[in-house]
Amino acid sequence: MTTVKTLETPTAEPVRLSRKDFVSDQTVRWCPGCGDYAILAQMQKVLPELGIPREKIVFISGIGCSSRFPYYMETYGVHSIHGRAPTLATGLTLVNPDLSVWVITGDGDGLSIGGNHLLHACRRNVNIRIVLFNNRIYGLTKGQYSPTSPKGLKTKSSPMGTVEHPLNPISVALAAEATFVARTVDVIGPHMGDVLLAAAQHRGVAFVEIFQNCVIFNDGAWEPYSERQIRDDNNLYLEHGKPMIFGKNHDRGIIMGKTGLEVVHLADGYRVEDLVVHDVTSLSLAWMLSRLEYPMPLGVIYAVEKPTFDEGLWAQVNEAKAQRGEGDLNRLFQASDTWTVADRRNGHDGHHEAHIRGEIDANLDEAYVDELMQLATTIGEALEERLAGMTLADLGPRAPIMVETSARLDHAVALMREHNIGCLLVTNADRHLAGIITEGDILSRVAGQVTDLHAATVAEYMTRHPSVLTIDAPVVEALHLMSTHGFRHVPIVDEHNLPVGIISVRDVVDFLAANV
Amino acid sequence: MKLLDTLQHEPITSLDLSHYITVSADTTVRDVLQTLRQSKRNCALVLRDGQLVGIFTDRDILRRVVEHPETWDQPIATVMTPNPRTLTENATAADALSLMNQLHVRNVPVVRANGEVVGNFTPYAIVRFLADSFPITIYNRPPDPKRVARRQYGG
Repeated sequence: MTTVKTLETPTAEPVRLSRKDFVSDQTVRWCPGCGDYAILAQMQKVLPELGIPREKIVFISGIGCSSRFPYYMETYGVHSIHGRAPTLATGLTLVNPDLSVWVITGDGDGLSIGGNHLLHACRRNVNIRIVLFNNRIYGLTKGQYSPTSPKGLKTKSSPMGTVEHPLNPISVALAAEATFVARTVDVIGPHMGDVLLAAAQHRGVAFVEIFQNCVIFNDGAWEPYSERQIRDDNNLYLEHGKPMIFGKNHDRGIIMGKTGLEVVHLADGYRVEDLVVHDVTSLSLAWMLSRLEYPMPLGVIYAVEKPTFDEGLWAQVNEAKAQRGEGDLNRLFQASDTWTVADRRNGHDGHHEAHIRGEIDANLDEAYVDELMQLATTIGEALEERLAGMTLADLGPRAPIMVETSARLDHAVALMREHNIGCLLVTNADRHLAGIITEGDILSRVAGQVTDLHAATVAEYMTRHPSVLTIDAPVVEALHLMSTHGFRHVPIVDEHNLPVGIISVRDVVDFLAANV
Repeated sequence: MKLLDTLQHEPITSLDLSHYITVSADTTVRDVLQTLRQSKRNCALVLRDGQLVGIFTDRDILRRVVEHPETWDQPIATVMTPNPRTLTENATAADALSLMNQLHVRNVPVVRANGEVVGNFTPYAIVRFLADSFPITIYNRPPDPKRVARRQYGG
């Protein structure tokens, strides 16, 4: 039988994984422009940083658009029953306490259909991460109001505006005794990455609400908090131990008033010392923050350590075993009264209602989808329109400088110096792309650590399986990789995985500079 | 939104200028490398008495450090690039782009009139600016551009 195990820190040699190791071979089926894509991209950025092998990670979802998430992660995954993902996750962490278990849910799946399951997973402090994509609408079923839709929202099921009051997911999680509660926004990439990383490292239940935009049925629902030009005037970025200052010009703050948190302007004679200092261990502060809407608190709102469900339960199981030995399920069954249920199947022919089938007209949405596809490639006028329409070929990528995997490290460094570049593509003897070696690799694994570069080969220090693009890929694909994952170089390969070029952040800067 | 117009009016301080660390001029090369690795940065701005005196990036590592173990215990001032070109905090994003393009460098420190360092302008600041300006087009993309949905998802 299993004994209690704690989440082991990876052994001396942490697994080195890359983004690509977490990208599955499934076609992502969310609508073009969906906020779910940004969350998927951040998850694929954060998980390699944890150093946990893929087979120790499980994503469990319920039903809804967000619940397709497990298909797209190259980890274990379960696409389960509506609202019941926390339940499956509870069972899984109990028998496999060393797994990193993630529940992916939405405002409908998590707070309506599965509301009860979510509450009790929080209350029990099950060692799982619950990520709730909140878009304030039922997207999968095409636009009915959800438990987080604001009062008055006109939807397909509330043509005159919903008369219901929305739930506040952060307040719900706190009231349900969650030990880690945080909030972030789909398009504030680095912020989301930090929050997901903190959630991953929390022991016990970690609840994360992500403001996620449904580009089709509730577009712009979170605009005050996501739109670059205005969000810093509306968002309060929380940091433990730091005073609560906000605003684009850092000119406003939060003080503790007589009955709760109040917004003040520093120009009105308030000093930084007058402001509330964020303390993630204070439940009463967390509660007040959960009720705040201006400014909108983002980041880790509450985080405390408490014994987890699996620890408590296994301690009891182990104690019982120590006192009474291994259990015997059969004996337990036989121990009390048993009775036989009469067989009533005679006379029943087992007839099943015919399953109602209906072929959905394949052309039903074609016009609509064409419109969606356009939406994802059109971003405005003039320069941005050109940028959106450009491919990597238009940007004029440079020819790559290449070395073979067997090359000596000093040779690679000399090549970079000679060409004054920060990146070499690494090929196998048959010229196929095997990896990439950059200044970043030299900084993180070589400089100050390796004294004899001639004794080392490129293969030992390169980054394997780099993300690549083809020459006909839109420039925005490269921008996606550079902004979300911080890549400074993206190799360009042909259909046979032979390197044909390289694109760098410099090329983007130079293109813009040539146009301003 | 007109991108060109925005770039010309966007104050540089509203961009993500956080990609740097600061170290004092007498810190050893070994310690600077360690701090860069821990903070996942590739640029150290070198200060003496609070004033910027040099810059040390991964390109300097390639040129002067990685194959020269004798430098590892020396002060960073011996291998840094002294007196880097800087931008003032009144610069616009367009100014910064032009300067970066013209100097062909990847790090331009942003410095107040009194010499205080307030940030570091990098190509990432521009990439982040573009992504934040067009999140649906840039952030919200599938992991593999070859496999995209042809149809709207849903029942």
